[in-house]
Amino acid sequence: MFVHHFKYSVITLFKNKMLIFWVYAFPIILGTLFQMAFSNVEHSEKFHAFDIAIVESDTVQNNEIYREAFRSLSDEQSDHHLFNIQYVTEDTAKELLDNQEIAGYVVLTDPVNVIVNSSGAEETVLKYAVEEIAQQEAMIHTLINADMQGAFEAEQSHRNPEEIYQQAMALIQDDTVNIEDVSGEHLSYIVIEFYTLIAMACLYGGILGMVSINNSLANMSNQGKRISVSPAPKAKLILSSVLASYVAQLIGLFILFVYIVLVLKVDFGNHLPFIMLLTLAGSLAGLSLGILVATGMKANENSKTGILISVTMCGCFLSGMMGVSMKYIIDTHLPVLNKINPASMITDGFYALYYYDTPDRYYQDLISLFVFSGLLILLSIVSLRRQQYDCI
Amino acid sequence: MKHVIEVRNLCKEYKSLQAVKDLSFEVREGEILGLLGPNGSGKTTTINCILSLLSFSGGSIRIFGQEMSPDAYHIKREIGVVFQEVAIFDELNVVDNIDYFCGLYIRDKKIRKQYIDDAIRLTGLENYRKFYPKQLSGGLLRRLNIACGIAHKPKVIFLDEPTVAVDPQSRNNILDGIKTLRDQGATIIYTTHYMEEVEILCDRIIILDKGQVLASGTADDLKTLADIEEKVTAKVAGLDAGHLDGIRALNNVDEAAYHQDTLVVKYKTGKNNLADFIDYLKKEDIHYDQIYSERPTLNDVFLKLTGKELRD
Repeated sequence: MFVHHFKYSVITLFKNKMLIFWVYAFPIILGTLFQMAFSNVEHSEKFHAFDIAIVESDTVQNNEIYREAFRSLSDEQSDHHLFNIQYVTEDTAKELLDNQEIAGYVVLTDPVNVIVNSSGAEETVLKYAVEEIAQQEAMIHTLINADMQGAFEAEQSHRNPEEIYQQAMALIQDDTVNIEDVSGEHLSYIVIEFYTLIAMACLYGGILGMVSINNSLANMSNQGKRISVSPAPKAKLILSSVLASYVAQLIGLFILFVYIVLVLKVDFGNHLPFIMLLTLAGSLAGLSLGILVATGMKANENSKTGILISVTMCGCFLSGMMGVSMKYIIDTHLPVLNKINPASMITDGFYALYYYDTPDRYYQDLISLFVFSGLLILLSIVSLRRQQYDCI
Repeated sequence: MKHVIEVRNLCKEYKSLQAVKDLSFEVREGEILGLLGPNGSGKTTTINCILSLLSFSGGSIRIFGQEMSPDAYHIKREIGVVFQEVAIFDELNVVDNIDYFCGLYIRDKKIRKQYIDDAIRLTGLENYRKFYPKQLSGGLLRRLNIACGIAHKPKVIFLDEPTVAVDPQSRNNILDGIKTLRDQGATIIYTTHYMEEVEILCDRIIILDKGQVLASGTADDLKTLADIEEKVTAKVAGLDAGHLDGIRALNNVDEAAYHQDTLVVKYKTGKNNLADFIDYLKKEDIHYDQIYSERPTLNDVFLKLTGKELRD
């Protein structure tokens, strides 16, 4: 009976055009739209080093702070490669600027002059960089003066000023704000969006579970009346329906993954197996939520669909899918909500792959999702056992 | 005779509405029992209570001598149900629909295949095996609905108004199929508000109204309750009150009524009533288009018992 019901549940699910659209086509369409919308954002955000000129002078030769800073910012091997620098005379610099061969040029006078022809992004970056260098220079001078003063007061006037200067340079380099990606990996905006899409596709599987169970409920469909008077045990029917819906959903998710990875070329790095494992657990949680709504609520199919979508959307919102700060707020003020919210467990599992050195948090989310699913399915079976209706 | 189903003092309420009141009856093995009553009389509610789909507030239901409950799977295995609404999957073709529902009862694939063929033959769906429901007419859908309910060869079959909105050809096919099922040994509970059907099919009839049994027995037993022996109906234009009184004064006439050019005369007893009636019309030079005589119907019984028509 289990296999028999499973076989026909799969057939009916696959022949339901409405479900095929929402579970299979809709995430793919949404993914395509994401790619179209956000890939341009990412490309436009990528920074390329641009050409500038520095007017040659004795100051340039003697000012080690500027010389070192420009050397660092023009190093092609460096992560901080901002500029391609030419050292030229002022006339040549003007000519290059007029010919739009450079974004601007720097004249090291006091104060430092940055000459540009327009006010685009490159010009802004050049001005900002030079201002930063000027501030660093001022800070170094302050540090040197303070150190010399200290040495004098400590009667260590025998210290070599050059030594103090080198120490100050080392100090300023150490003091540089160092934003370090602790995982050593890059979680791009578009990948976050696709994680959201996958999580949403997992939870949308609840509709599959709900439709499949509704077909077996006497108060929801005429077929359900006929199934209810048959000798098929409710537990077998539910588990068989769950499995059928799960298979249908996993096929949909597999297609979605193939499309995202091979067609849209979204790079999940080396996390793909973990992501797929979490997706297995997440989709089971989505299904079980749909099944509980189907069995536990006394409402018509449209109302149940509305309730399920509302619960799903609410869960997604609270898990930070529509704004990461919400996840932080819930974590701070009502952490238990994130512990029982399947959407939160899914997204937390995805992010855990990037933000933690160990997989403990990931496995914790994975296990939570399986426990959540098991409890909901058990509740559904218990609620249907020996069920009779007041009205059909 | 052995009782297959015993319903004792069944009570069922829908909020403030008492749908079934202290209803008791039994169904004998191998018979077709008709539950006849107008819409809302409690026929479907009674069946749903017997099937343990609906909870009920009082009474008991026993099938094959055992108490019926939602998990009485051994009893359910022997029951087939054809619901009033068509209960099939639009996504499955005729064979798959029957196979699915039959498979909930019969595990063996070979036996199931044979049973499906039998059900298709019984309902005359041989030419539509691979058709999907949307390709079938209303009558054919009803036949498929029946095939899905009886394919597993149950011992007890509930047929809840299976001929509603069915064309005459399909209706005849369905009624013939039900007779065949009875001949094969099934016990059948048949609900309808078509009195002609219960007269043709049923061994015994229970007339229900407002959730209560008004009368029960064979069709002939029940017709005696109408307290008339013959009813003559004629199409007559412009009959005046004097002539109507004249007709009422004829021999054996119990009652005569004239409404919208239709004259109905009921006789308690007597022979040659129709001949006497026609003689009177000729003598009084009253023109008539049609005239026919009939035995009292179950509708007359219902009218006598409740003061209203069965289809009101």
